[in-house]
Amino acid sequence: MSAPPLTRPVPGAAPAAPAFRLLLTLLRPRRRHLTIALVWSLVEGLPAMVSGLLIGAAMDHGLLAANPAAGLGWLGLLGVAMIVKAAATQLMFPHLAAVIEPLRDDLITAVVTATVTRAATAHTPPDTAAVTRLTAQVETVRDLLSALLRSTRQLGISLIAALVGLLLLSPIAAAVVAVPVAVALLVFARLLRALVTRQRALVLTAETLTAQVTPILAGTRDVAACGAYQQAGATVREAVTAQSAATTALARAGTGRRLVVALGAHLPLLILLLTAHSLVQDGRLTTGEVVGAMTYVATGLEPAMRALTGVAGGWGVALAVTLRRLSETTAPAETTTIPAVTPSARPTTATPVGYRLQAEGLGFAYAAGAAPVVCDLTFTVEPGEHLVVAGPSGIGKSTLSLLLTGLRPPTAGRVRLGGVPLDDLPAAELRSLVALIPQEAYVFTGTLRENLAYLSGTDAGDACLLAAAQAVGADGLVERLGGLDATIDVPASLSAGERQLIVLARVHASPARVVVLDEATCHLDPAAEHRAETAFATRERTTLIVIAHRISSARRAGRVLLMDGAAVLLGTHADLVARSALYADLVGHWDDQG
Amino acid sequence: MTDSPPGRTRQKTTHQDGDRLLASTARAAWMPMAATATASAASAAATLALPAVLAAAVTSALSGRGVHAAAWQLGLVLAAGTVADLTGTLAGAASTASAITSLRLRLTGHILSLGATATRRLPAGELANRLVSNTSVVASTPVSLLRTAVGLITSAGGVVALLLVDWQAGLAFLIGVPIAMIVIRRLVTRLSGLFDRYQAAQGRLAARLTDTLAGIRTVQASGSAGREIARVLAPLPDLSAAGHALWRAQARGVWRISLIRPLVEVAVLAVAGLGVADGRLEPGQLLAVAGYTLLGLSFIDHVDALMDFSRARSAGRRVSEVFALPVPAPGTRPLPDGPGALSLRGVTVLDDQGEPLLDRLDLDLPAGTLTALVGRSGAGKSTLALLSGRLIDPDRGDVLLDGQCLRETDPAALRDAVAYAFERPALLGGTLAGAIAYGLPAAGRDDVQAAARAAHVDDVVRRLPRGYDTPAADALLSGGELQRLGLARALVRDARLTVLDDATSGLDAVTEAQVTRTLTVDMRGRTRFVVAHRATTAARADLVVWLDRGRIRAQGTHRDLWRDPAYRALFATATAPATEATLATAAVATVPASLEEEPCPPRP
Repeated sequence: MSAPPLTRPVPGAAPAAPAFRLLLTLLRPRRRHLTIALVWSLVEGLPAMVSGLLIGAAMDHGLLAANPAAGLGWLGLLGVAMIVKAAATQLMFPHLAAVIEPLRDDLITAVVTATVTRAATAHTPPDTAAVTRLTAQVETVRDLLSALLRSTRQLGISLIAALVGLLLLSPIAAAVVAVPVAVALLVFARLLRALVTRQRALVLTAETLTAQVTPILAGTRDVAACGAYQQAGATVREAVTAQSAATTALARAGTGRRLVVALGAHLPLLILLLTAHSLVQDGRLTTGEVVGAMTYVATGLEPAMRALTGVAGGWGVALAVTLRRLSETTAPAETTTIPAVTPSARPTTATPVGYRLQAEGLGFAYAAGAAPVVCDLTFTVEPGEHLVVAGPSGIGKSTLSLLLTGLRPPTAGRVRLGGVPLDDLPAAELRSLVALIPQEAYVFTGTLRENLAYLSGTDAGDACLLAAAQAVGADGLVERLGGLDATIDVPASLSAGERQLIVLARVHASPARVVVLDEATCHLDPAAEHRAETAFATRERTTLIVIAHRISSARRAGRVLLMDGAAVLLGTHADLVARSALYADLVGHWDDQG
Repeated sequence: MTDSPPGRTRQKTTHQDGDRLLASTARAAWMPMAATATASAASAAATLALPAVLAAAVTSALSGRGVHAAAWQLGLVLAAGTVADLTGTLAGAASTASAITSLRLRLTGHILSLGATATRRLPAGELANRLVSNTSVVASTPVSLLRTAVGLITSAGGVVALLLVDWQAGLAFLIGVPIAMIVIRRLVTRLSGLFDRYQAAQGRLAARLTDTLAGIRTVQASGSAGREIARVLAPLPDLSAAGHALWRAQARGVWRISLIRPLVEVAVLAVAGLGVADGRLEPGQLLAVAGYTLLGLSFIDHVDALMDFSRARSAGRRVSEVFALPVPAPGTRPLPDGPGALSLRGVTVLDDQGEPLLDRLDLDLPAGTLTALVGRSGAGKSTLALLSGRLIDPDRGDVLLDGQCLRETDPAALRDAVAYAFERPALLGGTLAGAIAYGLPAAGRDDVQAAARAAHVDDVVRRLPRGYDTPAADALLSGGELQRLGLARALVRDARLTVLDDATSGLDAVTEAQVTRTLTVDMRGRTRFVVAHRATTAARADLVVWLDRGRIRAQGTHRDLWRDPAYRALFATATAPATEATLATAAVATVPASLEEEPCPPRP
């Protein structure tokens, strides 16, 4: 099922209406079911429309005309109208389901797509707490929208039904009632705007509260160790009082809804009452019509006004605010100061010749004023070479791995693969030619086969996957788990080392020609690390770049790139031990670690 | 003997504690609650009076007698109802808001006073859930219960009024009600089962999304965002199926409910209509009958609210569980000047099951020296580290700093005297500068930078987009960088005792050597207590304390202890055979003390 994009930009649209636009985009494909549901909703409004008429007729033509049977007959008709209403309710449900359920599917698809795409193009840690918030918001939209559609009848139709019924009964009575109702509706429209603003403020303060409180609660030990009770307490107090103030402000604005009911339903009742006697005396209304009109206002209009202000002013406002939050989330990521990883805009036909990797005057800094992480770096890695990158932690080794694999655009210089700048390579080709394995091994819920074939797709047969597992030393693990068909239900139940083995086997089985291991073996013991690295070093037509975790990695490499802030040295292991005091120092200390 | 371990106290927390909390919440906000109650009662009275007043008004309007008086009466009742509703809404909101605020602040204070024990007893996510969402349920319960009670009383009043206006019509009403009750109950039971299925599918989807976000770097590197989206959405058909099943069940149930309500109405109206025909009732009184029938049926709307009460009770219990965790009593005595000598006397700490984590421990850390604490994981090293600055209290025995019991010491004085760095520090305080100076509002930017330089993290911070002003949550920090920031936070305090609980485990060898030099050279003369996993750290300590299953197995210098193969085994990689790394460790660890003076040769 392919859902329509929910983030389609609408040129020239008012920025104030993203929620409404999102709602329209969601409802448009479901027009037919929506229309049918609304028709049934109209039928549901039938008793509200005819109740006064039938009660008036029951009085005038039956109960007061000494003909109780006829009176009961009219009331029986009211009963029939109510059965029709109940039937309409039941018939409406499948169509509501056909609107709401696919709509929820679309919304989830859009939210997941936007969240994953955003996270995949961002350079900041993904906000995992947002997952909970997003699923809750989608569910809120589903609940509110279905509640709203179910009570459409109360929302407008019973109001209109009561007025139409009144008009049929007596145009004069209808005229008396219509004016205050119109004024009340105008006031309510103004009120809605204030309600939306305050509801949004409430939602935002609630989000802030959770965001402020969670790290403090996770760090109570640190608060105690820093003696920061006052400071932590003040942070929480600020967020808590802001949220309470927002709650109270919303409640205050909400009282306006009750005033609208007084204006739109109670005032007409009084006017009708004061004019009733003269209208009856003039012969323009009968007794039954007066009782009928009062029935419309007291049992039709008044509940309808209450429902309208309650439903539109409560659920409707909440829906508008939630939709707006969601549309903000599903909107494409804003361009930050650091350009996101995007496929080149230029149409590219360039094909790399071989897979020599060249860095030319490569530089990277987070911001214009910030100290550069990588500065004017030029070197070449020949096809099939085995290079180790060494240096103290935090020196920019991981950033270099991102630049070399094209995952982060450099702020100076460029990287070429087979003579072609990475920018000019189609993204799909680049990603399949170059593989980067980060420290955190990504193993997902699914079969072992799915996990191992993640990068090779369907072309890799079981034999190929098993051979890759054997090569990196994951064969024992595959056997222990129960073969390729074994399901990994909870990835976290595997040890960090086991997850790294799975990921190493996955990349070994992939078509990648350049493999970058960024501390990808840090949870393996030295012997296992040796085996895994050797598997890649001896893999056919493979350039291996290892961001070193242990110095033993550097001993195995053809060449070592040593990073030390401004200075960068390139040479063989023995060469660097002789040339660089830092390197000699690293080798010495590195060996200390178990 | 002091407080019993909170783990066992928790099991005693029952629904009664939750109910007591609900009651005390209501009492605390009694003034706005009383206003809400008064307003609700007034509103209920107006609601109950309205059908009768309306009927009387119509009767008099039709007869033309006393129209103005009747209109006044009606207007008065309507106005009173409006004013009562407005007052009730405002007072209710004020009452709930003040109850939520005071409950949350009280709970926050309690959790913060628990210090390190809070997250040892309940995970942070649980605490956050109780502080943010359970408190809000608890605090809004008194007002919503009050509203429900008033609603039910009004509904009952409607039935009584109906019986008073016309007992026959009232009888017709009472016959219809039990049927409505049965239908509603059956629907609610059926729906709750379906909801479980729906929520399970939702949970699977959210779990997959969380997985993907955790592995987002691999997704970036593989260019597989598209396939990830499909993988996350795989449970969507299940969710959709459960959703449709919910709708079908609702369609069947709601149909019956929506039929019963109006049929009761028509039946009552018919009986009353016959009454009008008989002359038993005035035509206007038909309005009263219709109005009271609606009021009587309004109990249906309050059924849900009654079900919510069980949710409120369980929320109350969950909040009381946190309150039940005992807070250590703060000391009051100032700390006398001293060099920072730490002593433990017969210290025992028990875990949740009452098993000893530390068992009758006696230990003296000489002032002004570096003591390393070693031992297998689970030996009690972190517990001992937490005791040293009273982040937890021992179950038995005393911890003394410069001769004074920590229990008796004023908390502020204690925090100035003991600084901590942890394996995984939580960076609080907003920006990175704020995180380093957390709890020390007096620390200036210079102090912060000096501490960061000493912890060898200054250059890392200055490479970030906004340097020291980078929000801690936005900075993509490695474990080692985080640890060095935590170290800077300890160093900025310049305390007489500094406790490092595995605080350099994530550093690479060179950086660790640099940090070790800060510890051994720059901090010489201060008391340092370091939980260590690496032989190099132990080798540089003045004294090594070897902890084994809650007891001190041996203490002495690293060189002396090294003769024991069991001690050497502490530093060997668990799974590795005797490789170059472990052999090298042995070689370096036996290097003479000259290394302690100059652990890191000057850089080129």
